[in-house]
Amino acid sequence: MAAPPLIRGTDLSKVYGTLTALNNTNFTLMPSEVRALIGANGAGKSTLIKILTGAIAPTSGTVEISGTPVALGDPRAMIRNGLACIYQHANLAPDLSVLDNIFLGRQPTSRFGLVNTKAQRSEAQALMARHGIEVDVDVPVGNLPTVKQKEVEILKALALNARIILMDEPTAWLSASEVTKLHETVRALKSTGVGIVYISHVLDEIFAVCDTLTILRDGKVVAETDVAKINRPSVVELMVGEKLARDSAQASSKNRHPRGTGEIGLSVRNLTKHGVYRDISFDLYAGEILCITGLIGSKRTELLQTLFGTVKSDSGTVSVTGAPAVFRKPSHAMARGIGLVPEDRHRDGLMLGMTVTENLALATLAKFLHGLFLSSKGMAEAARASIADLSIRPPDGRHEVGLLSGGNQQKVLVGKWLNLAPKVLILDEPTVGVDVGAKAEIYGILRRERERGKAILVVSSDLEEVLTIADRIAVMVSGSLVALHDAGAIGSKELVREIGGIAA
Amino acid sequence: MKLRPATSALLFFTALVFAAFSVWAPRFATATNIENLMSGFSFIAILAMGQAFPILVRGIDLSIGAIVGLAGMVVFDLALIFHLPGYLILPLALLAGSLAGALNGFLVAYLRLQPFIATLATLAAYRGLTYTISGRQLVPGLTTTAITDPWIMGIEAYFDVGGWLGLTKWVNMPWIPLSFFLMLLVFALFQVLLLMTRFGRDIYAVGGNEEAARLAGIRTNVVIVLAYTLSGFAAAIAALIMVARFTTSTEALGTGMELTTIAAAVIGGVSLAGGTGSMFGPLIGAFLMGGILLGLTLLGISQFVQQIITGMILLAAISNDRLLAIRRRPKLLAISSGAS
Amino acid sequence: MNSQKVINAKRRNLIKASMLGTAALAGAAGVLFGNFGPQSTGLGISQAKAQGTRYKMAFIQWQPHTVPAAWSKGIEEVLKPQQVIDYELLDGQNKVEVQASLMDTLINQGASVIFLQPIDSVALAPSIAKAKRAGISVITLNIDATEAHAAHVEMNHYFGAMDIAKAMGDVMGGKGKVAILNAPPGIIIRDQRTNGFVEGMKQHHPDIQVVSDQVADWDRKKAQDVLNTILAANPDLGGVYGVNDSMALGAVDVAKEKGLIGKLAIFGNDGEIAALESIEAGELTGTQYTDVYQQGRLAAAAATVLATGGVAATAFTQQSHLLMPYVIATKENVGSIQPAQRW
Repeated sequence: MAAPPLIRGTDLSKVYGTLTALNNTNFTLMPSEVRALIGANGAGKSTLIKILTGAIAPTSGTVEISGTPVALGDPRAMIRNGLACIYQHANLAPDLSVLDNIFLGRQPTSRFGLVNTKAQRSEAQALMARHGIEVDVDVPVGNLPTVKQKEVEILKALALNARIILMDEPTAWLSASEVTKLHETVRALKSTGVGIVYISHVLDEIFAVCDTLTILRDGKVVAETDVAKINRPSVVELMVGEKLARDSAQASSKNRHPRGTGEIGLSVRNLTKHGVYRDISFDLYAGEILCITGLIGSKRTELLQTLFGTVKSDSGTVSVTGAPAVFRKPSHAMARGIGLVPEDRHRDGLMLGMTVTENLALATLAKFLHGLFLSSKGMAEAARASIADLSIRPPDGRHEVGLLSGGNQQKVLVGKWLNLAPKVLILDEPTVGVDVGAKAEIYGILRRERERGKAILVVSSDLEEVLTIADRIAVMVSGSLVALHDAGAIGSKELVREIGGIAA
Repeated sequence: MKLRPATSALLFFTALVFAAFSVWAPRFATATNIENLMSGFSFIAILAMGQAFPILVRGIDLSIGAIVGLAGMVVFDLALIFHLPGYLILPLALLAGSLAGALNGFLVAYLRLQPFIATLATLAAYRGLTYTISGRQLVPGLTTTAITDPWIMGIEAYFDVGGWLGLTKWVNMPWIPLSFFLMLLVFALFQVLLLMTRFGRDIYAVGGNEEAARLAGIRTNVVIVLAYTLSGFAAAIAALIMVARFTTSTEALGTGMELTTIAAAVIGGVSLAGGTGSMFGPLIGAFLMGGILLGLTLLGISQFVQQIITGMILLAAISNDRLLAIRRRPKLLAISSGAS
Repeated sequence: MNSQKVINAKRRNLIKASMLGTAALAGAAGVLFGNFGPQSTGLGISQAKAQGTRYKMAFIQWQPHTVPAAWSKGIEEVLKPQQVIDYELLDGQNKVEVQASLMDTLINQGASVIFLQPIDSVALAPSIAKAKRAGISVITLNIDATEAHAAHVEMNHYFGAMDIAKAMGDVMGGKGKVAILNAPPGIIIRDQRTNGFVEGMKQHHPDIQVVSDQVADWDRKKAQDVLNTILAANPDLGGVYGVNDSMALGAVDVAKEKGLIGKLAIFGNDGEIAALESIEAGELTGTQYTDVYQQGRLAAAAATVLATGGVAATAFTQQSHLLMPYVIATKENVGSIQPAQRW
């Protein structure tokens, strides 16, 4: 009496222009199955999820739900078919009560069109009893802790008679005990026949709560297996691919300068922010590139923000070239010679509507002041120097930055901070969305700045990148710095294992 | 209905202001002054309640005053040029206001225009339309002709409620204007709509988290259009009250009301961030502002100073709104921003 | 020759009017009320002073502008010395609902006289009726209301504009094209002045054509833009009538820039100080000058009589109506307007 799978996606492909985001992918989910869906950034995970929720239609392929083909690209059809998605960020109306959120958009009404609160309440109580969830239904959702908000979302899905629940990074904002609680809820749901697709970067959770595992890489399924039949290192290897091992072997070890000139640029001791990162200590030397790597959610970005003065730490010290430093805002950090090239260059880094020259001068406007006025000649000269130095193309400062390629935008952003002549340069994911050629150029710029004696700190989740440019490698797992290696002394496999949170 | 702490604070502040004026401002605590407050600010309260709907869905209606002018001129033309009976004019005026509001909603929901920009444009357009259709210019002599239709003029009626209840034996009771009762009616209607119907929940959902509302199958665009329609509808009711009060309409009727109504709504705890507030706040907010203006005038304080004070109260209310929004944000941040 | 005589006669009128001092005004105000039999109970200011009675009076203006400011100054000049009258200036903010609310408040305060410059003749009528029922006299300034009230003191808009048309036509030699820089529609003054001007041209200079009538929002800057457009379409324009002085001065700005001073006859209306100075400088051709202080003084004098003379507000079945004397001020006679009369 084999029941048909809850979801059967066959030959799903999605092509955006020249980019194939998803390539002939098959995907199934059975009742009472918790299936993990994992993959690195750009592996096609979110494309697959969007197809399943109906947010986008695939270029080709079909989806059957419980054996019946369904219309694709229609979110409401998917909801009607019993598929609900719990997004990483909550889809709740914060000022409405739990009850109203559960029945959002379809409250039962009495005669005269008034909302029938009694019916809502009893249905919600029944659902909670059946699935072992407990929430005060009268509180505004915005006042609930995050894990309770997740439960409200689950209730919302269940109230829709969902038999398939997609959970996208459901634990991203939860504490350890909350994660455990959520997992109990997941198991309870499973026992009632609900199928769950569990998307997460955290391998611990996958091994704790999932039955089966689908790994995507470069738009293709590279593994589909029972969780019991696979171990963590193989999971990570499957995620990042074999090419990595090859590349790291090729990276020349001669070119590495661990601890650079031996002079300490930035020193961090016991830095802690409760619930985010804890007890972080390391030294960054002038003339070296130190890479901090780890999975998404390992709180690397938060650490950088503290070093740059946008997020306060609870305890611990930071010193720059030997002198203690307290940064309450970025200008403090800048004054002490720290520059930060942020991850999202569009949001945090560049004025896309302004010219290359203006962007390059933005952090150093004071240099170009003549009395009250900016010297446009001075700015243009400085920009010409930067453009030549960084080989920004097209080599014309009058171009709008928004019209440049991603790689050249990134070079402008780096150039902007180099103009500040920082002693310590911090880069957050410096090559995201940058093509291979530009990547190599940016690496070249970083190496050259290293030779010029700068202390460079790079945060990257791209292992290939880390193994290519790092002089030393630090690994962060869930807010802790778990390891610090000289780049030549560690192979990609060991690194992968450490990143996955497996004690070496 | 449970009173939210913000609402109780507002009530407390209002009581404090009224008590202070009663002590210090001569003739503030008189039946006549209360009557003036009711007849002079009931229509403002109605407008503020209408304005609350767009704000609840994270929008704003800058054209609300222009819709007042437009609806007022529709009444004027229908009564004095077309000599339609009042029982036809009333629904037609309400229709005109609602349509003007619906167009705002359409621009915001379907053409995805910024509410501020869209309604700023219709503010100019509706005001221009009012001048174009103005019977005062099309037909000579109407400038000095009063509207006498009993259906419309009936709105400007006063009731000796105190006398009926026999209270006048003990205190001098104000006569209550019909506009005040209309305001209460609108309040009851809007409040029930907002708190007890599915449409009301949809309003809060769209204002609180539009994406969530959409994914829950709520037709967010329809909800937005209806929110702006209600704002236009309220503007038309206010226009009727004003026309009845002045026995005419002018091209400039309702000028500047957008600011007054936004102020009353925000003072009443309707958050500019959307999704928070009810009809009770704007109502109190409107009468609080009215009380302050009347009190300051009775104290002989220059109106230019009054405008400064009104501006400062608005600034305080908006700052408070921001503060509450920021304080709420850590929780919402957790659910609305991406992972690190 | 003949017109010179008329001007001389007017000048005498003007001088005579200006000689009326504050003390004489109360008497002059008596002239205002020809339409009722005063049921005077013999109360007076001196008595009020002895009894410690205080009177409250207020002026609700349309919106801040030179004209109501000058009225208010004239009103104060009369009311202050009497020592028993509290007077304040209130601002209608160009909104009928604000004016109505202020009327309500003044009625609540038991004012004895309200001076009102209504934004709309009809819209304020219910408020005036309410004031009357409360025994409060209302004196309107410049814009009449449809509800009968104590008195209306007005600049002579219609006949003044007719005389402006005549004077302008004389300067232009009885032929040519003229344009009007007008106020936004919906305001009675605008209609009175425009109609008077058009009618005056018809009567005195039938060969002169009004080729353009454009709205310039009472505003000098706006008037410059509007006139530039008009001149582009009518390069042979011979005269411009600004319905207030600000717009006329805007026209002067354009004439100066284009070297049309002397070729273009430009007339304003009201007679504010900037306009008189422009006439003296030989730029503005002329304006209708009204002594606005005097207008305020007359209203205040009437108010004093109403407040202290025991005249009931309801006694006015037919309101009295006073048209202010005026002069068409041009380069020839502007010098006779004394500094104290300039506003």
